[in-house]
Amino acid sequence: MDEKVPRSKIIETEIPMGTVHPAALEPYRVRIFVEDEIVQEAEITIGVNHRGIERIMEGLPVQKANSLTEKVCGICSNSHIWNSCRTAEIGLGIEIPERATYIRVIMGELERLHSHFLYLAHGCEVLSHETFSMRVFYLREIVMELLAMIGGNRVQYGCSVLGGVRPRCDLDEAKLLRLKNDMDKIEEGLTDFAERFTSDSIVMSRISGIGVLPQKQAIKLAVTGPTLRATGVARDLRTTMFEYDEFDFNVVTQPDGDVKSNLLMRALESFESIKLIRQAIANIPEGKVVNRDWEMVDTDINESYIEVPRGTLYHSYALESGRVRHSIIRTPSMSNIGAMQYACIGDQITDAQLCIVQCDPCFTCSDRAIEIIRR
Amino acid sequence: MGIKSFSRARAIHVMLVYTGGCNGCDIEIVNSILSPRFDAEQYNVFLTWNPREADVLVVTGPVTHLNRKPLEEIYKAIPNPKLVVAAGSCALMGGVYKNCFADIPSEEIEGPVENVIPVNAKVPGCAVRPQDVLAGVVSLLPTLLDAD
Repeated sequence: MDEKVPRSKIIETEIPMGTVHPAALEPYRVRIFVEDEIVQEAEITIGVNHRGIERIMEGLPVQKANSLTEKVCGICSNSHIWNSCRTAEIGLGIEIPERATYIRVIMGELERLHSHFLYLAHGCEVLSHETFSMRVFYLREIVMELLAMIGGNRVQYGCSVLGGVRPRCDLDEAKLLRLKNDMDKIEEGLTDFAERFTSDSIVMSRISGIGVLPQKQAIKLAVTGPTLRATGVARDLRTTMFEYDEFDFNVVTQPDGDVKSNLLMRALESFESIKLIRQAIANIPEGKVVNRDWEMVDTDINESYIEVPRGTLYHSYALESGRVRHSIIRTPSMSNIGAMQYACIGDQITDAQLCIVQCDPCFTCSDRAIEIIRR
Repeated sequence: MGIKSFSRARAIHVMLVYTGGCNGCDIEIVNSILSPRFDAEQYNVFLTWNPREADVLVVTGPVTHLNRKPLEEIYKAIPNPKLVVAAGSCALMGGVYKNCFADIPSEEIEGPVENVIPVNAKVPGCAVRPQDVLAGVVSLLPTLLDAD
């Protein structure tokens, strides 16, 4: 499989896709170099969506900056505000009530469910299998309503605050019961979907062996998250995070690194998320949800890594009289771009979009820095 | 009712243009038209990605510097009557990205959408709710059907 090394000679036929393209939700540009309809080289260019969030964060009060990080990405918004709060909490040494940790884990896992369902739906749509896509969209709607129930909004929930979660997001008995019942519904629907999907021989033969990313190459390109685990590397930051200490879950891996492995990976990981949410519902401790007993001090640069639906998320900033300085955000799709380019090579041009989508791209959150050259 | 509006009423095509927001609105809009829960397709509203086929243009995002030209070109390409829905607070007022600090305009943002192309309907919200998107598109239907 390591023979998929790009050749050095000049390839004349170039197919540009984008910046606005039907199969991609977000604007980005791909240049695909082909020979006899076989992709020889792919090049992804981002930078269209650059909005300069780090620049806007600079000098804002820390709580305001935390809620601004939510606007980095509309898919994993909760992960950003979670990690941003976590950065300050690590720096200031704030203790988080245990109940708040559990609610954060529930929100994180619900978000993982909705992100993975979106991935499955989008993947099936790019496969041109609309029936499967609709089935997953229907399941996703249950998750969205749960998120709206807890956070009050369907996309930007603003769940975490410094020292815990917003009192609005506290879970009472009725909410926990609904969460519990809906988990059963989702599991039933997902099992049904997975059975239909894996027993459909047309779909399976269409997706196996397409867009292969070898394990060695994945490690070399520093791929993160489910895309890495789909190549057989059991690396999940949730095993090192203190929030997940009391939870019992498996790190799912798949062997091949092709589209099939990636799709199954997300489906199997969703089952793990359901398991985690059930554990959280069963063991959620009583108590307050936010700790307001802390003092603001100046700190050096604080860092925090967490596992988000797409991989590893990194936030860092220093605090100076309660304001944010030198903020850096590094999103998982940034390191997965190499995987997207590599996965396209050696496949038919019609599969190129599928190969890119299999790595779960989110270019909106990846547009972190651009260089403007004025002439 | 002319033959054009007769046929238009049976297949209203919505095109989504994404100009650099956070992805939240876009997924909600695709969700509101495609997904089985809201399902605008039962009211003969379809999602298309071809500007020449589109009746209604739904624009999200604050229009970043590099997205201005594609947006203008897409607007030129859609047929008359050119109807535009601006969805989400970024499209309406630039959202949180418009200004650095309190009032220094960010260099990256060209928006709101009104500054670039004329807007017929505005849907507020961060992120927009699917119900509101449907209401926004439906509010344009009289204009769309009266045009010849």
